[in-house]
Amino acid sequence: MIVVRVAKESDLDALMSLAHETGPGLTTFKPDRDALAARIARTRRTLEGAAAPHEAGYLFAMQDTATGDIAGVCGIETSVGLREPFYNYRVSTVVHASQDLGIWTRMHALNIAHDLTGYAEVCSLFLSPRYRTHGVGGLLSRSRFMFIAQFRERFPQRICAELRGHFDAGGTSPFWRAVGSHFYQIDFNVADYLSSHGRKAFVAELMPRFPVYVELLPDDAQQCVGLTHADTLPARRMLEAEGLRYENHVDIFDAGPVLECHIADLRTVRESVVVPAEIGAHPAHGDGNDGGAGAGVRSLVSNTSASDFRVGFAAGVVHDGAFALSADEAAALNVAPGEPVRVLGPARKTGREAS
Amino acid sequence: MLFIRAAALRDLDALAQMARTARPVLHSLPHDRDALRARIASSDASFDASFDASFDADVDAPGEESYLFVLEDRDTGRLLGTAGIVAAAGYPEPFYAFRNDALIHASRELQVNRKIHALTMSHELTGMSRFGGFYVDPSLRGGAAADLVSRARMMYVAMHRRRFASEVFSLLPGVTDEAGASPFWEAVGRKFFGRDFRDVEVASGGRSRTFIAEVMPAYPLYVPLLPAAAQRVLGEPDPHARLAYRIHRDEGFEVDRYVDIFDAGPVLTVPVERAASVASGETRVVCDAGEIDGAAAAASWLVASDTPHGPRNAFRCVLATLPRADARAPLDAPTQAVLGVRRGDSVYCAPLRQDRHASPSVDARPGAPQ
Repeated sequence: MIVVRVAKESDLDALMSLAHETGPGLTTFKPDRDALAARIARTRRTLEGAAAPHEAGYLFAMQDTATGDIAGVCGIETSVGLREPFYNYRVSTVVHASQDLGIWTRMHALNIAHDLTGYAEVCSLFLSPRYRTHGVGGLLSRSRFMFIAQFRERFPQRICAELRGHFDAGGTSPFWRAVGSHFYQIDFNVADYLSSHGRKAFVAELMPRFPVYVELLPDDAQQCVGLTHADTLPARRMLEAEGLRYENHVDIFDAGPVLECHIADLRTVRESVVVPAEIGAHPAHGDGNDGGAGAGVRSLVSNTSASDFRVGFAAGVVHDGAFALSADEAAALNVAPGEPVRVLGPARKTGREAS
Repeated sequence: MLFIRAAALRDLDALAQMARTARPVLHSLPHDRDALRARIASSDASFDASFDASFDADVDAPGEESYLFVLEDRDTGRLLGTAGIVAAAGYPEPFYAFRNDALIHASRELQVNRKIHALTMSHELTGMSRFGGFYVDPSLRGGAAADLVSRARMMYVAMHRRRFASEVFSLLPGVTDEAGASPFWEAVGRKFFGRDFRDVEVASGGRSRTFIAEVMPAYPLYVPLLPAAAQRVLGEPDPHARLAYRIHRDEGFEVDRYVDIFDAGPVLTVPVERAASVASGETRVVCDAGEIDGAAAAASWLVASDTPHGPRNAFRCVLATLPRADARAPLDAPTQAVLGVRRGDSVYCAPLRQDRHASPSVDARPGAPQ
């Protein structure tokens, strides 16, 4: 079974080799042993309630329990921007109108903003290409929302996710070329690296202090504003299915969209339920009373432990106020009979199904 | 003989013709006949206000006055050029220009230190006196007549200092292509107005209407973020305006950090007291042509008169050859007649060229990326 769990010190070697599988781009998951060790230690302190608000955050690892192989990571920052400013552009609308001349034009301006300060952020998602099969990416991404749903009190009111922006065939960001390169005068990757490694002072020193009119930029740069990198589109769809939306915040370097929402509105928070686990009685459900809906259907299931949080897919849905796990699943999720599990059933299709 | 005088209502037809045929388009003269007539009437009244026994008593600060000058060929009566002064730009509304500021973006950690230019809508030119509407018939472009048309304005200013601000600016036309399209307008103004440059020029007729505040950008525009074609013409005079540029430089105008909000043409400024026609000007006494042996050390001078006891709007300005250092201005009879002066009267004179230094070339432009 593939489970996502809190990363531990003992995962360090495996995480290092996984990090070597990332290409350029994922700046928050690099093969940097000290940084990874610090991240894991930070996760532990956060779980123990020993982390200051600005450093609270979690790193999760995805593991195949059959082989022990660690094949993915993902993270949550509890409250961004509390020590280093969290910068975005807010894309605002500016209307210029003159009744005398019969003119009405709508333009957009990019305003440096710290609007997302204090938001939780889902970040650092990486899945080994070896595991990019159906549903695994979804498990990795959603595991964080299961954690948030289970430990709602550990998180603020709102959440965001930064998505990678558009890069052209040559691997450069037209937006960076048209805007950032003039202000920061360093390579995009250097800027991105510094920014994600706690060296953001240069941003404040070099960023545009006045709003930037989008419509005055070259066409290819304009089109980048809020445009998601092709490789990141599946992640975007997943986040949107979860309830996050583009609300006119974009990245200051590549203009990639920031998705955001109230945590209370996350699908996982709204729809997941906590029920006792039944172990070994598999499969008591899907026997015809629920119209056969249980056949071939799986749910996202987690335990309710903070220190040993685990989440994975298990066959079936909640039935008669309980969820049935096989002995293997129960072991992988570290759940004993009768213990509570959090369950998120399969997404409902749009609209009511005809009955 | 060519001479400058105040425009009068009888010049309406000729001025309307100039406004229509001038290339590039002469935006500062109304193309509408009634509006042009009103402009001439306003000029007439402005000049007239100086015609008073107590010279300038009724105008002791620049206000709504505007002055329109014409170049006339005395022999044919034809008008061959025009130029104007607005006593206080924008009066009583703000006059808009882009101020091109340099912002320093520096990071010690990254060892980056960069000057980034940004264009900010500015009212700072409001209230300064403004030269505009310069036009000379193409047949006269090679000679000094163009200098006469342009510089006669500063001669007038020199003789009526209280009517004008202490600083004068002039907006030269920015670069436009054969079709009249401005690369700067295409990159900036069009985004805000959604119209052709020419349509807005005609509809607006100036840089001080309230619609500019409504429509033009409230935030500064970062120059390096603009398309290259727009950056290239920033502060660059249209090739057709090179002559005007050279003459302004001769007068002492310098490129300033302002450019036009529509076509990014350069704004040239000069403090009145440092203008060549003011700093090097002197009052001389008219004498007859033969009275001085003019063979030695003679040069071209601008010679102006504005006799308070003469006819209305008596300002005249001509070019004449005068000895360099002399308290007298020997003028032949036709010139005396044109100026409305006689032997013993005073005229205001300024050398056409400054011999002290060569005229500066077209170099440092405002907003040229560093």
